[in-house]
Parts: sequence; structure tokens; C-alpha cells
Amino acid sequence: MSQYNFKKITVVPTAKDFIDIILSKTQRKTPTVVHRGYKISRIRGFYTRKVKFCQQSYHDKLTMIITDFPKLEDIHPFYADLMNVLYDKDHYKLALGQMNTARHLIDSVAKDYVRLLKYGDSLYRCKQLKRAALGRMCTIMKRQKQSLEYLEEVRQHLSRLPSIDPNNRTLLITGFPNVGKSSFINKITRADVEVQPYAFTTKSLYVGHTDYKYLRWQVIDTPGLLDHSLEERNTIEMQAITALAHIRAAVLFIMDISEQCGHSLEQQISLFKNIKPLFTNKPLIIVINKIDILTMDDLPPEKKELFTEFEESSIPIICMSTLTEVGVMEVRSEACDRLLIQRVESKIRSKKVQGVAHRLRVAMPEKRDTTERDIELEMGDDYSLDLRKRWDLANEEEKYDVLPEIWNGHNVADFIDPDIMTKLEELEKEEELREKAGFYNDDTEEEDEEMQDLRKTARKIRNKRMLKTLESREKKGIKTKFPRTGKKVDKADIENTMAELGIEIQNKSKTHYATQNNERSRSTSRRAIKRKREESEVARSGSRSVSRKREKSAHRTLSITPRDKSGMRDEKMAKKAKKLAKAAVGPMHRQGIFETDRRIAVKKPKHLFSGKRKMKADRR
Amino acid sequence: MRLEKCYFCSSTVHPGHGIHFVRNDCKVFKFCRGKCHKAFKKRKNPRKSRWTKAYRKATGKDLAVDPSFEFEKKRNIPVKYSRELWNNTLVAMKRVEEIRLKRQGQHIINRLKEGKKLRKEADIREVDKHIHLIRAPGAKAPVFEKKMVEVIMADDDDEDMEGN
Repeated sequence: MSQYNFKKITVVPTAKDFIDIILSKTQRKTPTVVHRGYKISRIRGFYTRKVKFCQQSYHDKLTMIITDFPKLEDIHPFYADLMNVLYDKDHYKLALGQMNTARHLIDSVAKDYVRLLKYGDSLYRCKQLKRAALGRMCTIMKRQKQSLEYLEEVRQHLSRLPSIDPNNRTLLITGFPNVGKSSFINKITRADVEVQPYAFTTKSLYVGHTDYKYLRWQVIDTPGLLDHSLEERNTIEMQAITALAHIRAAVLFIMDISEQCGHSLEQQISLFKNIKPLFTNKPLIIVINKIDILTMDDLPPEKKELFTEFEESSIPIICMSTLTEVGVMEVRSEACDRLLIQRVESKIRSKKVQGVAHRLRVAMPEKRDTTERDIELEMGDDYSLDLRKRWDLANEEEKYDVLPEIWNGHNVADFIDPDIMTKLEELEKEEELREKAGFYNDDTEEEDEEMQDLRKTARKIRNKRMLKTLESREKKGIKTKFPRTGKKVDKADIENTMAELGIEIQNKSKTHYATQNNERSRSTSRRAIKRKREESEVARSGSRSVSRKREKSAHRTLSITPRDKSGMRDEKMAKKAKKLAKAAVGPMHRQGIFETDRRIAVKKPKHLFSGKRKMKADRR
Repeated sequence: MRLEKCYFCSSTVHPGHGIHFVRNDCKVFKFCRGKCHKAFKKRKNPRKSRWTKAYRKATGKDLAVDPSFEFEKKRNIPVKYSRELWNNTLVAMKRVEEIRLKRQGQHIINRLKEGKKLRKEADIREVDKHIHLIRAPGAKAPVFEKKMVEVIMADDDDEDMEGN
């Protein structure tokens, strides 16, 4: 593969630098400490490592240099020849060969000394061996000083070579020195080549790029050629010759008609004849430059005769002036066209094209007699665009029907189907079947009166429950009164609720709740009960005064039924209530644990026991 | 002019309404209003948003699979116009709509039947358990009603008296 970019070659250090780099690397990257008292194997290993490391580094760096520099056999012959011209092939190869031998020598030195180190019996001896090894390797490198310098120069020059693609479309400009080659390239490309009145201003090849017919073209400016034999040519001219020899390009041979370059037309033509062999198989154009000074017509007839030769051999002659830019573009177009033709022809002849050629097809549009536009122009104002006139329908009358698009939130177009009627029939059949099967029957039985009543009562019950819950919610926030005094019962309330529930209360005047509120309306039977109690108490205590006092003062307090007996129908109910009360207390109370006692829900919460202690009081 | 379906809620998008969104993979999403558009941008799944048709169909609340749905389909192959075909289509459309609505309605009725039964049973249970809140055991009609009956009777007597 031809490589035309030599910018990636590693920098070649000078001999001194090379040695410094490697030695400092060895010092840094290997262990540095060793003592006399260590085991001998450890000491040997230490020094062996140093020798081997140094050898390895040298080897790697030299390998990199050798592989980075291009091999003259592997690159395009144009570049190989150019490099030969510039750097002398033999010298180049020799230098690289020297690198190779140096590498080999360093390897063998290291091998020998490593072998010797295996038998080193003291730190001092091992150290001396390592010193000798490293010293020898560095001496080898010191001897390569010249080669290294040369290679560095070559590298720098190589990286500055213009990137010429030998296979791309190229225009090559040749001629005597000072005829106007560099001015021409400056005109057609963006290259900025130095233009000076003295000869050999251009000392190397320059590349510029230009566009023509949507393609990129390389334009190569060469140093001027003088009319002598190949052997006498110097390095600069040889570059031009190399370019001419190896690159398949269109050649523009520029001649100075005004002879201001310092050479006559005859001399220029004789040069042309000399290098003619290089122009075989290349499209050639003779370009006459500097016609602003002297035109073709002003030439005396003898000079004109010189050009008839070219006309006979059908080489085109174009006149131009780089100063006034007359004919410059013509020259470029002519050269490009000729080169393109030649390249296309050669490609067609090659085998690759056959595979592609039969796949190419160019479509040409047919000619029509009258277009819609023609009709429009003809009719002028009367014209109206009627898109339906070319419609191809079964029935011509239907062309101008007004179509409904939407019906009841559906697109009519979504239902269009040639088989719609058959499908509809199937659907209707299915629907009939379903009706017959009783799919659409209403199975719900009419509810009888009993059921309706039941529903009503259920509704009533639900309402009642809702009311009760609302009542209890209202009570929720209210604090219980302490000490708990007897609740005053509203007579009307009790009577109402009982009436709602359907219970008739007999003897309303004699009821419990009625007498409770009304002290005067106490029955005698009640009193009798109380008296009995007092008597028993007297028997127990045995003091009359106390009982008397109690008689007078304790009437009211004793009239309120004790809490555990109020609201109970009988003994049995009272006992059950007591039992339930005990059960309702809960396991905690029975154990003696009450709500207000302090309790720790989580003994060891994680957030207080994990993590480091900081200057915060958030840990236990 | 076409009525589109909203991608999110499946309602119709009339011309001049809503937003069409074209994604990088060339899929077009049409939305009927900002609500659906925003829900889509929040990456909500229409099959999980309770109020969308997609949810209703996915959870079986509305009829989803039925032959009457096969008639309305966006067809990409155009059919040549013929008057007869279009007239037939219009007639068929109306009939298909009727049948579809009927079947949808039936689907919902079937779905709700179970609930009716359960509610009936719940009423019976309610009455069994909590009748004591309305009526004490052993009581006949509530006392109020008796009173009302007396009042009505009294009125009747008055009227009779007046009439006479």
C-alpha cells in the first residue's frame, strides 16, 4: 500500500540524548535499593533486572525507529525514487542497517553479562558486571551518532514532503526555470509558491488542488529543468524528473515566448525534445506563456515554423498570460479534459467495468404533445383546474359525484369494501341467532312487594347506622367529664326513641327516669328499700348518731343507683357485664403496665447506633 | 378530511384540533387535547389511565373483540369509486352502528348483573343483622304511624262533618 504521509515517524534522538533517556529510565523504573547483607540470589536478581531492562529499552526504541521509517521496496515507486533522489537510497539503507546491527549487538552484550551475573558472588562483583554491561551498551550507541543524526534529518524532511497521491488526477507543470510555472499554479490553486526573478526559485515539488467538473485535481509544480543530459542533473532537477517519470498525469510544458527567462525558443524546444520520452502515454499540452509581452502573431515566421512541428504531431498549443490571467482557465480545462478522457478510456478497457456497465441505465423522458399548462395558457381566464376529468371509472356519469366523507363521527372511507354487503348479511344472520338464543333477554325478575319492603328497610338501617357513626364521631373530640356526675336524662328523648322502635311505654309517670329528676315524685316503695339498708348499717356500726346523720344527709346520694348496677335488668346481666369489663381491660393492664408508663418501643434504633460519632448528640 | 383517533384516550380528533407528534422512528402520534399530549410526554401508559378507552378495553369493561368492529378499518389500498358501492356502504354503516351499540350495551349489562345480585344479598344480610336499630323485637308498627293514622281518621271525621 502506498503511503504518502510520512508524518507519523517517531523522533530519532541524538546519540547522547538516546543514552541519557535509556539510562535514566533504567534508574527510575527498576528497584534502587540493595544492601550487602541481602541474599546473594536477591542481589543477582537486582542487577540482572537492571541489565535486562536497559537492553529491553534499547531494543524497543531501535525497533520502533526501524519499523517507522518507510521501506523503499514497500512504498510507491514515485516516493521511492524521490527519496533516493533526496536522501540517497544507499545511505538511507545503510543507516537503518546500522540501527539493526546496534540492536543485535546490544542484545548479545546483555545476554553475555546476564550469564556472567549468575555467577557473581558478591555485591561488588555484581555491581561491576552491571556497570560494564550498561557501559558497553551505551558505547555501542555512541558509535551510532552519525547514523542517528542522518536519520533525524531524513525524518524531518520526510514529514515536510508534500502529500501527493500518485493515483489521483494530476496535472504536472514542467519547463525551463523562470517561464512562469509557479505563477500558473498560484493562479489556478490556493498554493502560495514563491515567485522570484532568479532561476531555481522553486527548489522542490509543490502541490496545489483545484476543482473542475465536481472533481478534485492535484497540480504539481516542479523546479525548472535545464537542457543537459540525465547524468549531469542535480538533485533539484532530479525531483522534477522523478515526478515526470512515475506519476500518470497530464503534462503541461510551459514555454516563454518572450524569452525573458534567459533562454531562446530553440533552446526550450530542444529541452522538450530531450525529455519527450518521459511524456509517453501522458496527455500533453504545450503552453505558451507571457503573451502579454509578445503574442504569437508578433513572432517572426522562422519562430513560427518551430511550432508547426507540434501541430503536425497533434499536440495542442494554448497561449496564456499568468500576469493578465488570459487563457489560464482554458489551459486548465483543456488539460483536465484530456486527462479525464484518457483515464475513462483506460478504465473501460479494464476488467472491473464489465461488472458495472450492464447495471447502468439512463432514462430519457418522452415528448408529449399538449400538456395541461398549454391548455391553461390557451384558455387564459376561462381555465379552471379540473382534476376529475381524467378519472377512469366504470360509469362515466359518476365522475362528478359529491362524496360524503364523514358520518356520525366515522370516516366513510374506512367502511368502503367491495364485499361489504355480504359481510353485512353475515352480521345480520349472527344477530338473529343471538336474539333467538336469548342473548339480549332481560333476565331480571320483577321483585315482589316483600323484597321491595326489605330494600326499603335496608336503606333505613343504613341511614340509621350512618347517623350513629356521625354522632359518635362528634363525641370523639369531647373530653370526658371527671368526676363523672349522673347524666341528666331527657324524658322526651327516651320516649321518642322508644316510640321509633315501636315500644309503648306504660305508666309514663311512674318510670325510673321520671322520678330520678323529680325529687318530690318519689314512691313510698322506694323509701322502704332505703330504710332497710340503713338498718343493716346500724347493726354493723353500732352507733346511733352516725345512722341518724346518714338518714338526714345521705338521701340524695343514695338515690343514684351504683354504677355497676345501673342499666342492668338482673343479677345475671350484671355479672356478665362485670366479666366483659374485666376482659376489655386488656393484657397490658392485667400485667400492671398502663398507657402512661414510659415505654421504649425500639430498644436499639439503627440510626442511633450506626455510623461514626461526630460532634453531635445523636448517638446512644 | 379525516377524523383521527387520539393515541392516548382513543377519542376522535376533529380537523383543526389537537397535536400531531412525529417521532424519530417515523411513528406519528395524534392527540385530541393537551391533557393527552401531556400524559404522553410524562410517559404514562394509556392502558393504565382509568379514564381512557384503552384501559376500558384492556380490563374488559367495554366490548373489545366483536365482528361488528371489523367493518371500520383504515384501508391503504384504494378502491375505485362506484356510486352503488358508496350508497351500499352508507346504508351498511348505519346498520352496523346500530348493531354495535346494541352489543356494547349488552356487554355492560352482563358485566353489572353480578353486582345487582350481590347488592340484593347484602340488603338481606343488613336487615337480618341490624333490624334492631329500626324496630325492637316484638314490636309491631312504630308508634308514630299509629298517631298519624289517628290524625288522618280525625281529619276524615271533620270532613264528613263538614260535608254533612
